[in-house]
Amino acid sequence: MEQKVSTENRVDTGYLVVERPPEAPGRIVFADGGACALAGIGLEDLLAADPAGVLMGLAYREIPLNGGDHTLLLLRSPEEEDLEQANSRLREELEAAEAANRAKSSFLSNMSHDIRTPMNAILGMTAIAQAHIDEKSRVQDSLCKIQTASNHLMSLVNDVLDMSRIDSGRMTINSELFSLADLVHDIAVILRPQAAQKQQRLQIEIGQIHEESLIGDPLRLRQILVNIIGNAVKYTQAGGEIQVEIAQRLEDGDGRGGRVWVDFVCRDNGIGMSPDFLERIFQPFERVKSAKVNRIEGTGLGMAIVKSLVDRMGGSIQVESREGVGSCFRLELPMNAAPQERRSLGLPQGQPVLLVECQEVRAAQMADYLRSSGLEPVCLTTALSAVTWLTEAQYEDRMPCALVLGQELADMSVLELAAHARQLAGPSFPILLVSEADWAQIEYRAVRAGVDAFVPCPLFKSRLLETLSKLICGAQGDRAGESGQTDYSGFRVLLVEDNELNQEIAVELLSMTGVQVETADNGLHALDIFRASPECYFDLIFMDIQMPVMDGYEAARQIRRLERGDARSVYIVAMTANAFVEDIRRSRDAGMDGHVSKPVDLEHLQEVLRTRLQRRESPVE
Amino acid sequence: MRTYQEEYIANTQEAAALTPRRKPEEDSFEAYAARLLRDKARKEELTERNMELLRSGLMPMLDRLLEAGETELEELREFAGKLLRVGTELDAGLFCQIHQALLSLARQKEDRPAIIQELYWLGIGRHSVCNNKLVGLDIADMEPYMAQMRLYFAEAAAYLKYFEEINDSEARAYILRSTANRSMGRFRRVGDRTRLIKRALEVFQDSTYRDIAPELPWNAYIRATHDLMAASISYSREHAMGPQDVADIMESVQLVYNRQVQAARERGERLPPRHAFHYHAIEYYCGIEDLNRLLTRMERLMDEADPWDFSPEGMYSMISLPAFYGNYLQEYPELAGEREMYAAGLYRRVLKYMEDFPEEKESEALFLYLRQLAYTFVETEHSIPYADLLEKVLIRFAPDVYVHSRIVGEAAKELSRLILEEEPGYFDDMEDIRAIADPAEKRQAILDFAEGCGTFHDAGKLNFLDLYSRTIRQWLEEEYELARLHPSGGWNLLSSRSSTSRYAAAALGHHAWYDGSQQGYPASYRRLDHPERQMVDIIGLVDWLTDMTDTARLHKGIGKTFREAVEAAISLEGRRFSPLLTARLRDKRVMERIRQALQDGRMAAYRRMFDESGGRTPAG
Repeated sequence: MEQKVSTENRVDTGYLVVERPPEAPGRIVFADGGACALAGIGLEDLLAADPAGVLMGLAYREIPLNGGDHTLLLLRSPEEEDLEQANSRLREELEAAEAANRAKSSFLSNMSHDIRTPMNAILGMTAIAQAHIDEKSRVQDSLCKIQTASNHLMSLVNDVLDMSRIDSGRMTINSELFSLADLVHDIAVILRPQAAQKQQRLQIEIGQIHEESLIGDPLRLRQILVNIIGNAVKYTQAGGEIQVEIAQRLEDGDGRGGRVWVDFVCRDNGIGMSPDFLERIFQPFERVKSAKVNRIEGTGLGMAIVKSLVDRMGGSIQVESREGVGSCFRLELPMNAAPQERRSLGLPQGQPVLLVECQEVRAAQMADYLRSSGLEPVCLTTALSAVTWLTEAQYEDRMPCALVLGQELADMSVLELAAHARQLAGPSFPILLVSEADWAQIEYRAVRAGVDAFVPCPLFKSRLLETLSKLICGAQGDRAGESGQTDYSGFRVLLVEDNELNQEIAVELLSMTGVQVETADNGLHALDIFRASPECYFDLIFMDIQMPVMDGYEAARQIRRLERGDARSVYIVAMTANAFVEDIRRSRDAGMDGHVSKPVDLEHLQEVLRTRLQRRESPVE
Repeated sequence: MRTYQEEYIANTQEAAALTPRRKPEEDSFEAYAARLLRDKARKEELTERNMELLRSGLMPMLDRLLEAGETELEELREFAGKLLRVGTELDAGLFCQIHQALLSLARQKEDRPAIIQELYWLGIGRHSVCNNKLVGLDIADMEPYMAQMRLYFAEAAAYLKYFEEINDSEARAYILRSTANRSMGRFRRVGDRTRLIKRALEVFQDSTYRDIAPELPWNAYIRATHDLMAASISYSREHAMGPQDVADIMESVQLVYNRQVQAARERGERLPPRHAFHYHAIEYYCGIEDLNRLLTRMERLMDEADPWDFSPEGMYSMISLPAFYGNYLQEYPELAGEREMYAAGLYRRVLKYMEDFPEEKESEALFLYLRQLAYTFVETEHSIPYADLLEKVLIRFAPDVYVHSRIVGEAAKELSRLILEEEPGYFDDMEDIRAIADPAEKRQAILDFAEGCGTFHDAGKLNFLDLYSRTIRQWLEEEYELARLHPSGGWNLLSSRSSTSRYAAAALGHHAWYDGSQQGYPASYRRLDHPERQMVDIIGLVDWLTDMTDTARLHKGIGKTFREAVEAAISLEGRRFSPLLTARLRDKRVMERIRQALQDGRMAAYRRMFDESGGRTPAG
């Protein structure tokens, strides 16, 4: 019996069953009315039709039956399909809107907590400080905590403001000249103390750098890098490791186009992120949640800001992470190299430089830098081998043009080696320290040990070579001074010494450096000379202590008491064989700034001269 | 030697002999105290005289060292030699100062044999510091001194390359000795040490060198170098040794051991316990024997020790072996178990041995062994209290330090008493004090605590007795730096033992500044981390007052009257000292009571020393 197909009422769905025997074309074995209506033909025609032709233009879903011999096809009209897709889109958008709403709600809740937390700390610590106003250490401790909380609060507010600028399209990227070395140094200065506080090992390695002077937005670049490394510090447990690598690639191979790509990698062995979170990391208001971290403070805007800034700079950012293992951020940013004049550093070509560092990678990098400037690095890893090498070099009259100390030796601290090398090699031998340490923290000890100059890590070639050039050329200037040329011709020294031989030797030595030396035989004589000189005439006074008529202490006291502009500022160095604590204290009490020991130690005399006068001339970092 | 040099030596020796005798000759305490006061005054006189001698004799000489003739330089070297002789270290600091000046002179003259000689002696001077003063300190504190020693020797040894060219037999001998001495002290890697010793042995056995200087005692060098290889390897176990290290060490050890066995046989004696222990210990450090077996062997050696043998070997068996034993138990507490009881018995035996020790046989070694024991003492419920042993060692070997400490303790008690009259809750930061409900009991607990903190706050000075008790002149700058390590040394001694741990903060923090500034030391003391801080503040203040009015005159050349010292303390209010304390010093009544406590403290210390040393205190 022929089945009548009604097409009057609109039909949106139907189904049919297709038999698919092996190695034979398929055929329709069953169809419902809806299928006939959607196909627009009667049942018999439909059962005789080629399934592929029937299905053309229809939306359908296949369900295999009987182990794959038959297939059930659920058919939908195009209108129904559009509607379904629209509904699906709406559902997704609704979910996204709800998620965004949840994130914003959570953000507001977190933010109110985050703002309240440091505010509470500020108010609470202020109350403690007020209650213990007489106890300086308690007040100091409270102020430190208030400062920390305030800084944190400020960073929260800054993040929110940045995000709002990005949202409203008001964020602009500047284009200005900057030094990559300075930028990386600044970042290290900001982040090292934070890592140190958590006893983390933060290593910043510099790879191939083609251009240190770049054109870009250093403030925003700094913001990006501080955010990424700061997160690594935040989300890595105490004692963990964070490794940062910075390198460059030339865009067109030979660098003639003037564009470089800055590649930046930050790896940590911190708590890592779940795959789910990884998908949302660059969305605003998201923060990683983990039982391993008590509470990580922040707005959750940082990575969204980073992503927006990177996009605007034309770069890209990628992240890999495994929960409990760590994370790795990779950043590529295009920058223009700044046009610059290549000037010669004047380093002596082919001359040996003794390089002592036991970390292989760092030693290799320093050696490469030195080699690239024409120097011949001799690499050693221990202080004992360095002292042996220097002793032999001195004996054989083949001293290197400088000693470059890394930050780690296999057998002792670098400063112990520096102190001994200074004694061994004399005052004009350049000693340079390359270190991750904060110079302000080690300056006193390093200078006392005989270090002439400091280059901070992460190490950039320009910094190492420029500092070395200053030192070596200065030292060669000293040596040149021996044959009449001078380095310190603009400086004047008053030498107060009653012993004729000592005076003669010191004058001879000082004169060789070009400094102008005037002498006095006793303290009273020195006082008269100083009083009669114009203000700021003398840059340094070397003052013997035991002298007839007026001793060095009294002379220094009287000079300090004079009513003239330089009476308190002129640098006075005691020269004394009396190295007892009381003597040093007495010389300080008398207003002297330092002391050199006797017998007239020419090395120390020159060292003071060099460090004082160099400092005034061109401070070395 | 010059007259001033001879007088300096004589004065220093005289001062060393002023140490209070164990068995007072005096019948009465009053006569005993009067003698101690006379001795103290004499020591001050000798110190002042020595400073005059140095200022008028030595320093002007160093001042014009460039003009000095060879005879004068030779006298100077002889003087220096007298200051640091094996077994009688009179003044290692001045020894180094003189040789530093001579090294500068030699460098200026480019006199290579002289440079080599001075480098060697400076290495020896530094070795003396490392060996005698740095025991028990943190490795970071020790390292600079070890490094300096090694660098001096390394520079001298570098001239080996020019052995033939340096045509001076004495300089050649210094080069060779320095070659071996580079390996003295602790190393970061054991392999570095054995490599240096092996290199020295190769040189000493190399006929190229021997033919150049046949007059030198090559075989003695070889023997001494094997001794070096076999000694001081305890640190090595902490740093993995390779098979080659073990082979090198054991080769030397076997040679040394055979020699010792042979020598003992020739004397018709048994192998001294010292050598037997060294041999067993090295077997353990090299992984040949386990620790249990070593401990059992040590027990046998200690059981065989004669408690009436006061010879160096006897002292070693009775005191040093128990010290090593304690060290192993400390490092491996899992092996302690019943051995703790055994150790407790050893300690009681040591105390008895100390008491029986004849005064005429006392030597530096006795003190060094007891100090070693103090550093490794294992305190348990069965042992004598560690605090008792420490106090006895202080009284007997560091009487000046003990007297100062008791004075500080008495003054701290008095100041605490005054504070408690006004603020009973002043010390409530300490949980155990806060927990005492009864006011009288609480007060007594605080006063006892003050006394204990005073008594032990300078325990770290046991490391630097040469500086504090035997340096009869003002300190050199470098010595002052060294003395600044005593708070950390005190912390290390006190903090890990139950009878003294509560005094450790006072030892660590009494030179720290109240405001935490870097002028104070050590940096490891952070005031707010210690609930005992109020008492540490008190100890810091009264220690400073005592120092300014008494001891600082000797070594720092500073002396103030009590009133001046109080005024100076007030001027440092809120910076060096707690304002809560200096505010009280403005009260004349308080000032007077502190002044009195300082005087009473000295007499209390003398009384305790009199009783401890067997003096008779009249009944009643």
